[in-house]
Amino acid sequence: MATFRRLLGFLRPYRPAVALSAVLAALAMGATVVIPWLTGQAIDQIRGGDSSDLDRLGILIAVAGVGRLVLTVSRRLVAGRVSLAVEQDLRQGLYSHMLSLELAFFDRQQTGQLMSRATVDLQAVRFFLGYGLVFILQSALTIVLAAVAMLLVDPVLAAISLLPVPFVVLIAARYGRRARPAQQAVQQRLAELTADAEESIGGIRVVKAFAREDRQLERFAGTTARVFDQEMIATKLSAFYQPLIGFLPQIGLACVLLIGGRRVVSEHITLGDFAAFYAYLLMLLSPMRQLGMSLGLAQRATASGARMFEILDRAAEITAPAGAQPLPAGNGHVELRDVTFGYAGTPAPTLHDVSLDVPAGTTVALVGATGSGKTTLVQLLGRLYDVDEGAVLIDGADVRSLDPVELRQSIAIVDDAPFLFSTTIADNIAYARGGADHVDRADIEQAARRAQAHEFIATLPDGYDTRVGERGLTLSGGQRQRVAIARALLADPRVLVLDDATSAVDASTEQQITAALREAMAGRTTFIIAHRLSTIALADTIVVVEDGRIVAEGTHDELVGESPLYAEIVEKGLPDQVFLNRNPVEREVAGF
Amino acid sequence: MRAEQAAGLSRRDDLRRRLRATGGRRRKVRGLMELLRPYRGRTALMFVALILGTAASLAPAPLAKQAIDRGITKGDLGALNLIVVLFVASALIVWGTSYVQTYLTNWVGQRALQDLRLDIFEHLQEMPVGFYERRPAGVLISRLTNDVEALNSLVTDAVTTLFQASLTLVGSVVILLLFDVNLALLTFLIFPVMAVASFAFRIASADAFKRTRETIGAITAYLQETLSGIRVMRSFAQEPRHLGRFGALNAANRQANMTTVNLNAAYFPAVEFISSLATVGILLYGGHQVLQGDVTVGVLVGFIAALNGFFDPISQLSQVYTTYQSGMAALDKIFELLDERPDLTDKPGAVDLPRPLRGEVEFDDVTFAYSTDEGTKTALADVSLHVPPGQTVALVGATGAGKSTLAKLAARFYDPTSGRILVDGHDLRDVTMRSLRSQMGIVPQEGFLFSGTLRDNIAFGIAEGDPVDDAHLEDACRAVGAWGFVERLEHGLDTEIGERGVQLSAGQRQLVAFARALVADPSILVLDEATSNVDLHTETVIEQGLRRLLAGRTAIVIAHRLSTIRQAGRIVVLEGGRIVESGTHDELLAAEGRYWQLYRDWAEQAAA
Repeated sequence: MATFRRLLGFLRPYRPAVALSAVLAALAMGATVVIPWLTGQAIDQIRGGDSSDLDRLGILIAVAGVGRLVLTVSRRLVAGRVSLAVEQDLRQGLYSHMLSLELAFFDRQQTGQLMSRATVDLQAVRFFLGYGLVFILQSALTIVLAAVAMLLVDPVLAAISLLPVPFVVLIAARYGRRARPAQQAVQQRLAELTADAEESIGGIRVVKAFAREDRQLERFAGTTARVFDQEMIATKLSAFYQPLIGFLPQIGLACVLLIGGRRVVSEHITLGDFAAFYAYLLMLLSPMRQLGMSLGLAQRATASGARMFEILDRAAEITAPAGAQPLPAGNGHVELRDVTFGYAGTPAPTLHDVSLDVPAGTTVALVGATGSGKTTLVQLLGRLYDVDEGAVLIDGADVRSLDPVELRQSIAIVDDAPFLFSTTIADNIAYARGGADHVDRADIEQAARRAQAHEFIATLPDGYDTRVGERGLTLSGGQRQRVAIARALLADPRVLVLDDATSAVDASTEQQITAALREAMAGRTTFIIAHRLSTIALADTIVVVEDGRIVAEGTHDELVGESPLYAEIVEKGLPDQVFLNRNPVEREVAGF
Repeated sequence: MRAEQAAGLSRRDDLRRRLRATGGRRRKVRGLMELLRPYRGRTALMFVALILGTAASLAPAPLAKQAIDRGITKGDLGALNLIVVLFVASALIVWGTSYVQTYLTNWVGQRALQDLRLDIFEHLQEMPVGFYERRPAGVLISRLTNDVEALNSLVTDAVTTLFQASLTLVGSVVILLLFDVNLALLTFLIFPVMAVASFAFRIASADAFKRTRETIGAITAYLQETLSGIRVMRSFAQEPRHLGRFGALNAANRQANMTTVNLNAAYFPAVEFISSLATVGILLYGGHQVLQGDVTVGVLVGFIAALNGFFDPISQLSQVYTTYQSGMAALDKIFELLDERPDLTDKPGAVDLPRPLRGEVEFDDVTFAYSTDEGTKTALADVSLHVPPGQTVALVGATGAGKSTLAKLAARFYDPTSGRILVDGHDLRDVTMRSLRSQMGIVPQEGFLFSGTLRDNIAFGIAEGDPVDDAHLEDACRAVGAWGFVERLEHGLDTEIGERGVQLSAGQRQLVAFARALVADPSILVLDEATSNVDLHTETVIEQGLRRLLAGRTAIVIAHRLSTIRQAGRIVVLEGGRIVESGTHDELLAAEGRYWQLYRDWAEQAAA
């Protein structure tokens, strides 16, 4: 119930419009209820053989009709706009809240779950707030008004003929409750079917290679059979409920005929009353159904609302501190003081007591096995996560005392599987500076040249304006990395982080990139995480990380003697794996 | 179970033949009939229920009229009772028949669509690899999903609505004419008004609906993308920009939706209004007729009651129209796909390759050109290569040199434009594809894994019905070095590996692909070495696994690792679609040719 009240809170900014549409709906219903009554009056006139008032009644019905038309059109226009405004508010509110939450939140949530809050659940809530409430109000009002009118004419007949109403409402509500999940399950099965088709088509080479077409067909047959079965579950529900919901009101009509007819014969009521009764019941057919369905909608919206509030109620953990100080001037002096950090939900900390002082403008290479904590360390710099103990300082200021936006704009990270947005290449490179519209094309190209990306971009169908990503061209891993390096360079950061950023680039290109990077790294602090010696060689200092601790620190020559771990890396880490045609970049059609 | 499946298969073969055989202008309608043909009996029963139910649903209005005229006005309670009994009986018939009809319609419709889906799928599976390279996967998937769904509403909703609404309409017309001709004709005046209004509304709102769907699709896609890219957004502090963009998409959606709201606001109240006008007309005109004694009061009440049965069918029919259009468009696309014939099939009289193969592969003056938008492009020219049984050939060369093409031709993903490819002396075009592929292992670069368990994936090459022996799978895993991580998994071989194997690391996926190839125990192996960056330990494991996999087989390897190249029995250097050098590592270094240059470049960098 609390959730329900909070949901209604979304309507608060539109209180006048909501009130207006409620008034309009009530008036329209009044007009609607008057029509059968007037009709009944007219029939009595006709039956009585007196036509004096007939024309007047006809005009009144027409007037009521016009009134209803005007009122209903206005009500729909007002309520429809409120509904759309609420939808927009809800969606924007949820999205902006999600964006304010810390990364740790996203680590714990599957994207699919978040998507479903912002689509399926939001849909249920807005449907209820936008239409459900109006339907409930309108249907309830119609039923009440019609019932009052009928009771005034003949209480006994009214009581009998209205008997099916509560049953219809309850059964329709029950149907709405049960049909929804069944329909959603159908959608789920269809999604599985899509996934299955995607897999079979994506993996067609493997299927053909092993000549296993029969297996795929059988699997797909199973998937289609599951769609069929679920469709039939949903069908059985609708085949059962819908005719039942249609049948019950007919009992009411039969009662009107049987009992109402007798009461006309015994002259308790007139034939006009009888006709009005009949018309009222016909009129109630759809409100009964709608009221039931809307009650189902309300229940669903409450459940969905609760799930949305789960996200909306979560306070952002990493925010700008009150009175954030501006980033002090400097060239990126980075200091980690006794930093301990663990991801939520993992038993042991990922970093223990890490202290590291990186003077401004120098390059430090982090080396160590996968999972040793290198990536975690660099993510603390831009306060993507907050340390558990200790502090991270940039140019002397604790990152927690700074405005996160300013801080992050001074740090650029390139990781091994960089994410590009599905927009143009130029837009992606200019990402940190507000997109391609805000940056000179010449600057974009210069960044691309430095990252050794210009050459391949020039060969793309639309050059820098080629769209990439889901709805555009698929770039290879090496191409993506180079675009991401260009993106980071254009951000002109104080601190540059290259986290395995050239892992998918072939050896000769990497050599060119590192040459260009040498120049780009001048005047800024750079963190390099790499497996290749040639890249590691760029660093002034090498830091060896093992199990979340810094185990050695020094130059290449120092470490070869001092650190057995480093010596092993040097010995085995010769770029043996990268030879001659190691060129996944313009790999011919994926898969071969 | 087996027999049932076989029956299903032959039924679908038959369906495809019949669908293709249809032609001419009415092809699509005939195509739909063909889909329903296997379910004639149920379809007929459905129509019986439909007609009966519609007839019964028309009964209340005339019965109400009879109740007034025969029973109430005359005070004949016996007649009234009888009429009420008939009334309840008709309601019961409607109840029963609509149950049967709803159930059967969906049953038949869904079955037919299931058949169609399987048909399309089977057709896709028959198409050669080249077919897939010309088309985005999304388009093909859309045929199986969206297009079939568009047919769904046509088959299950539209067809019944079409019949039901038309019958109701005709029935109402007949009843009203029987009641009173003049009054009926007066009422029919609203027909054209309603029809025009409804169709105009449907067409306009179908358009608005489409735009709403598009804008909501854009919102969902943006949401999906930015949530996936949250790390980048966060690290560059670009949240405000994305919020702004999202706001714009959101506003566009609202704008598109506004059209729908406005259309609905105009149409539905207008329909109500027309019905109240009709009521007035009937009362005024009919009222005077009653007074003159031309018609009875019962007719009047019956007319007003029948009005409702009038509006719904018109509105429903207008909806059928849009459904029909989108369904037919979908059917067009489906036919287009089904009409496409695979261009790479077993030729008549193709023979099975002997088993086991010795594993000799020969390229005899092979040239291959593929067609692009700008004409044909030669990918391989005059390649002759003889690989004796058991030898590993490493293909080396820059991107676009023709390595992949050579490998694909060996696997007969394509046929050469000229020249021949022979396996154990048999031209690949003369043998059955199944006998070739069942003895040839193909390991693509990023070993594509299927969702399901590890066991499913590793046993992928074991033919249906052949026993899957866990010990055998374990041996294969051990041989390629995959057992180390499989063993540590909580569910071992039963571990679900997720879509495309996302639960595994790149190195692990590679090892699983090796194990999968090893289980199939091919005589000839075509392998594209993975390039993904893995840590030192995994690197060593993969190297050893590969060595075990290659041992004792003929292998054509697109090699990326020096260790692999060094160990190859022969290195073939390709450039511009031609073989420029061939020999062992030592021979080629001694020759100081292209390979030697590449090696020197690498060595220099390694020393840097």
